Amino acid sequence: MAIVLIRAVILYVLITFSLRLMGKRQLGELQPSELVVTILISNIAAIPVEDSSIPMIMGIVPILTLVCLDVIMSGIMLKSAKFRKLMIGSPRIIISEGEILQKEMKRLRYTVDDLTEAMREQQIFDITQVHYAIVETTGKINFLLKKDYQPAEKQDANAGGSTKNPPSVIIRDGIIDKDQLRLLDLGEQWLHKVLRENNLSEKGVFLMTSDSGGSYTIIKKSMEGAK
Amino acid sequence: MNRIITSIIILAVMSAGCFFSVGAVNSFSNKMSAKIDEVEQAYVDGDAEKCSRSAEELQEEWNGFLKYAILVNDLGHAVEITSSIAEVYSFAQEQNDELYAACDRAQAQIKMFKDMQIPTLWKIL
Repeated sequence: MAIVLIRAVILYVLITFSLRLMGKRQLGELQPSELVVTILISNIAAIPVEDSSIPMIMGIVPILTLVCLDVIMSGIMLKSAKFRKLMIGSPRIIISEGEILQKEMKRLRYTVDDLTEAMREQQIFDITQVHYAIVETTGKINFLLKKDYQPAEKQDANAGGSTKNPPSVIIRDGIIDKDQLRLLDLGEQWLHKVLRENNLSEKGVFLMTSDSGGSYTIIKKSMEGAK
Repeated sequence: MNRIITSIIILAVMSAGCFFSVGAVNSFSNKMSAKIDEVEQAYVDGDAEKCSRSAEELQEEWNGFLKYAILVNDLGHAVEITSSIAEVYSFAQEQNDELYAACDRAQAQIKMFKDMQIPTLWKIL
């Protein structure tokens, strides 16, 4: 019995350290690979605690391997947008300008019930109120309401006009997202013109967002971040 | 970045440890196999004293390795080999013909113990 107790204490410390190494994330925000690692860790940790004939090292080695691989993978994802896209995919728009993109929903295997359920979770009960909806890589759907249905804010007092799709990321960490540029219907020529006007090259941009109207925001790479 | 470096270091240390254990078990198993052959040969030659001494060394060496052996293999295998080596020792002391069977059993178990550590494609799958 003492062995089980000591093993449980050691595994508790190990798992706490492992989760600390993986970084801070809430369960609902886990990427698919992180969710798999978390489930596997909990299962592997239980084996040496339940069966004292199995050496504890048989639990420690796979746990640390999974956690280390996860951290290394996230490091590679930080550096390579292609690898990040391969591993976690990219957010997909399923409602644009108030129109449901059925082809996209089919591709994501999302049913209308999934969509309406996600709407209800965010207190939206009428689909005609939705201007824009995006499925995040975690599977969560975020909605933007049409102007008339959005809660009024101070800056709305003098504002008029219709709702636009929210800005999309078109350069992240020096890499142009050509898919987003195409979706926004802006083109690379427009992007290079904007960069020239700002005396920047794409490599010098940490984050650039733009909406379909060409209204953009640029955050330059800091020297520290560029290292 | 520190996390990535820590992870790479942990992974490298674990990989080195795992592959070192394969080599260590392989080398120790070969040594044990040779020792069992030595006990058997001494019995065939009728050298009772050498047979008994070799069996005693065999048991001592196994017991010394046992605490590491259970780190790399499950307890079941270690118990089986311990009991077979105890039989070899006992029959060697008594100069009993059952020694042949006990030696063969111990050899087979040690071979299995060694083979289980080698990461071949079929075992991985």
